[in-house]
Amino acid sequence: MSYKGLPEVVTTRKRSFWESAYFVEIFKGLVVTGRHVLKNLRHTDEMPTIQYPDQKRDYGPRFRGRHRLTQRDDGSPKCVACQMCSTVCPADCIEIEAAEHPNPAIEKFPETFTIDLLRCVYCGLCEEACPCDAIRMDTGIYEIAADTREAFIVDKEFLLNNDKDGTL
Amino acid sequence: MLPVILEALLKIIFFFILIMGFVVVLIWGERKGSAFIQDRTGPNRASIGGIRLAGLVHPVADVFKLLFKEDVAPSQRHPFLYAFAPWLGMVVAMTTYTVIPFGDFLQIGDKVYPMVVADLEIGMLFVLAISSLATYGIALGGWASNSKYTFLGSMRATAQMVSYEITMGLALMGLFLVFGSLRLTDIVGGQGELIWGWLPKWGVVVQPLGFLLFMGAIYAETNRTPFDMSERDSEIVAGYHTEYSSMKFALFFMAEYAHMVVAAALIATLYFGGYQIPWLPRPVLEGHAGPILTGLLVAGGLCSIWIGTLYFRRARREKGWYNDAREREPGVLGTAAVVGGLVMLGSLLLQPWNIGAGGGSIFVSLIQTGAFIGKLVFFAWLFIWVRWTVPSFRYDQVMHLGWKIMLPAGLVNLVVTALWLAAVHR
Amino acid sequence: MAKLTIDGKQIEVPDGTRLFDACHEARGEALPHFCYHPDLSIAGVCRLCQVEVEGMPKLTIACNTTVRDDMVVHTRNERVQTAVKQILEMHLINHPVDCPICDQAGECGLQDQYMDYGLYESEIEMGDKVNKEKAQVIGPHVILDKERCVLCSRCVRFCEEITKTGELGIYNRGDRAEIGTAPGVELDNNYSLNTVDICPVGALTSRDFRFQKRVWMLRATPSICPGCATGCNVRVDHEGGRVYRLKPRRNDDVNGPWMCDSGRMIYKDVHAEGRLGSALVRRDGGLESLSWADARRELLGMLKPGSVAFALADPSLSLEELVLFRRLARRLAGEVQIAGGVAGDGLGEGDEILLSSDRRPNRHALSWLDLAEVAPADLAAALEGARGTVLVLGGDPVAHLEVAAALKGVRLVYLGTRHNATAAAADLVIPLSMWPEKDALWANKQGRIQRGQRAVAAPGDAREDWRLLVDMLGHAGDDLDLAGLPALRRFVAQELGLADEDSLNRLPAAGLVPDVAVASPGSAPTGGE
Repeated sequence: MSYKGLPEVVTTRKRSFWESAYFVEIFKGLVVTGRHVLKNLRHTDEMPTIQYPDQKRDYGPRFRGRHRLTQRDDGSPKCVACQMCSTVCPADCIEIEAAEHPNPAIEKFPETFTIDLLRCVYCGLCEEACPCDAIRMDTGIYEIAADTREAFIVDKEFLLNNDKDGTL
Repeated sequence: MLPVILEALLKIIFFFILIMGFVVVLIWGERKGSAFIQDRTGPNRASIGGIRLAGLVHPVADVFKLLFKEDVAPSQRHPFLYAFAPWLGMVVAMTTYTVIPFGDFLQIGDKVYPMVVADLEIGMLFVLAISSLATYGIALGGWASNSKYTFLGSMRATAQMVSYEITMGLALMGLFLVFGSLRLTDIVGGQGELIWGWLPKWGVVVQPLGFLLFMGAIYAETNRTPFDMSERDSEIVAGYHTEYSSMKFALFFMAEYAHMVVAAALIATLYFGGYQIPWLPRPVLEGHAGPILTGLLVAGGLCSIWIGTLYFRRARREKGWYNDAREREPGVLGTAAVVGGLVMLGSLLLQPWNIGAGGGSIFVSLIQTGAFIGKLVFFAWLFIWVRWTVPSFRYDQVMHLGWKIMLPAGLVNLVVTALWLAAVHR
Repeated sequence: MAKLTIDGKQIEVPDGTRLFDACHEARGEALPHFCYHPDLSIAGVCRLCQVEVEGMPKLTIACNTTVRDDMVVHTRNERVQTAVKQILEMHLINHPVDCPICDQAGECGLQDQYMDYGLYESEIEMGDKVNKEKAQVIGPHVILDKERCVLCSRCVRFCEEITKTGELGIYNRGDRAEIGTAPGVELDNNYSLNTVDICPVGALTSRDFRFQKRVWMLRATPSICPGCATGCNVRVDHEGGRVYRLKPRRNDDVNGPWMCDSGRMIYKDVHAEGRLGSALVRRDGGLESLSWADARRELLGMLKPGSVAFALADPSLSLEELVLFRRLARRLAGEVQIAGGVAGDGLGEGDEILLSSDRRPNRHALSWLDLAEVAPADLAAALEGARGTVLVLGGDPVAHLEVAAALKGVRLVYLGTRHNATAAAADLVIPLSMWPEKDALWANKQGRIQRGQRAVAAPGDAREDWRLLVDMLGHAGDDLDLAGLPALRRFVAQELGLADEDSLNRLPAAGLVPDVAVASPGSAPTGGE
């Protein structure tokens, strides 16, 4: 029986004597890999490896780096703590506590706004969900390092003044 | 008595340094070689004062890292065997060297020193006996860890060793028939002859099938790809050393490379003439020691200076790449090469062509040792080369190959060799 | 009965039915609406529930139309849909669309109906809107945002018809019309938060819940309010082990769709300071906390049969716990020295709407179980000169000074939820779960058994109380074997003498008023001895 005219069994090509004798094929393989060795010995500079800390790849403008919170003109966050980002976040890394803003025209603002950068998967859904353009991932920062897990949980002040520097 | 012990000690130390040095270089060679085969750069970061030596500093850094790492051990292990197994592997690998000759003799004044630690009558049998013990290290380590993966790894290693030991013995028996001795110095000495006046009587020439069988078997014995059953990452994590860490792991790791060196030394000794340089037997070399040394010095000096200029060119090109100590490297290495070259050329002032008979003898011994080491390096590199070229066998394929192909082939090889020798000698 | 055709479907409804309800039945879903509420009078102001009735020249609102025989009604044709869309647009004329900061977002009638019936590009410019006052505090529990109001007048009708206090009204006209209170008047009645529930938009929101959580993050668990003997059906909204608010569940036999504000605030006790999180034992005069294993050993050691001088349970315990307590107390203390709470505790002022003067959720069950209440003076007299252990489950009897004075010679074991006078006087304190932390049955003042489900985990070492009681029973030599809740409920039904053993496992949605013989004797303790 065949399914929609397809042969039921995948047929493999029969190996010739020299192929199944193995040693010849090994030798051929050694020639291939040996050629690579010789080529790379002679042209060390042409290797495709990017020497990372010395050389860096250029990323596009839409690259999603570390998050930042945008500011109003007075420096306060644009965020109104609607928690759309923390709702949509697949990694559950955003935590917001809302509070009453003294200005009734703003009404609500984030008392705390923390992101666990270790949990974040950099999917960018928070940017898309934000109705106020308050959270962006356009800093281009991808070198994020710290000595403790706690240091990766960044707060509102940090996110508001997110400079182009990898230190946490 | 004392001079004998001292002599043996010196030889042992020489071998120890040779093996440990090779282990370090081989680990580096494995990483760098695999990188070049795969179009990567490989290790090139660790440095001492900016001198990286193309990553040669990495094994040193690794050693220090492993020495100071926490020794994490399974709580349900067998304490003694768990600690003993890595040492067993290492000790066995080291012991095998004692019977391998790295030159024929060294004559200083009237004294003649054979360049082998223990020239045993049963030489090759000793090697087979001792190297089989290496499996104990793996089997004990895997069992004492009390983990399923390590146990599977050690079981596989044992089965594989049992299967291929026989083939190896059969392949070697053909060689013993040809050279009529188990003593390794005899076998090497026999390979210095020429057949029909032009073909070196190497083991590989007189026993081509035996050589292929021995190669396969020795790859299986060293647990190297394509026979890395006991530590297949994709199936049993890291096999028998899954539960080992820090220096105990390092011992297993180094034992694997020490085994590679032994294996390479054995291949070179048994099938590629050992320290013998084809068409240049010792008397010929001794007769022309002066000119050869002079030529080598001139060629070496010029090469060294040329390499130095290449380094200087690189130094100019790489100026401003790193902005740290690494920028010094090409300059320093270039200077060292040029100075070395000048020293070699300068030594011509000592009139090396008038080296004399005694000096010539020593020089030839060194040349022969160099030839041995050169062959050893090639076969050690072959181990690495093959590993990064050939995919692994499946376990059933390993057994199939060992029992159904290599074992009958070894028997055929032995019988044909025996019949042929009988025919020739009648 | 009236036979009518709605969207081509023939249905039969009683005479006098509102067309709105008939449409709901025929369609399987309600018509779009803001102002209609089944428990309030008809206002007909939102104009959203318009339907086409054949024979009528114009569309008519279904809520203010009574069914007639042979009516032919269309609710989904293009004329109706266009009308609904236009009306929704009108409602949105002055709506600020500040959903990101609005607490109603997620349970908002305007959002829901816009998704169902509208969902088009609005033609209203944001800048053209009439701005009104935002975030105006109009009472102790309620905050008003006049911009968001769609003037459905539900809250006004609620205050006039249900509480009959009439604080709210609609002031001004046209697009300046707004909900408000008269000068000097606050929306301050014990049912004010119901206006928040019925407000279809975010105009009236709760001050207590303000900005606490987005509603879609909350998980709802059906439960029973333990605030008084009425036993209002509530929904516990919780997230991450924390209760955020209570909302009424409709049960027309008990509370209708309403509940009182004091009941809504009762969840605060669960997370308030002073919860008992671990067991405490008296050492050198002070109370020290104890690991659970040690506490259990200590507790079981103190409760040997015959060693207990008096056992007292508060009617704030669930029905299951009272039943198990009675069995345990009979075994340990004998029939005479058991009491079901201190007489006079947990009484307050009630009203005619929902709030009962009895602030214990389970006092009715005491009469079923033949557990008499004991007056403080009698309790003190019983304890005076007594020797052994006094077991107290829940409540706070030591708050009565005469009881506190009579505690000299006894060891007091208190199983409770809070640090109070009894806990302070006790020699061993075991933490218990509170009502949203356990699956429990409650008998309200009608004798209606209702079930509350477990919503959150109890803090610290507190655990399922009935399991602890069963453990104590087993240790006291009882061979009662209760594997799980269904077995427990069957046991309770047996103890109450119910005909159907499984009736408590299959409680109807409205609860069960069982036919319990007053003062059921219960089964004799078995095993042991």
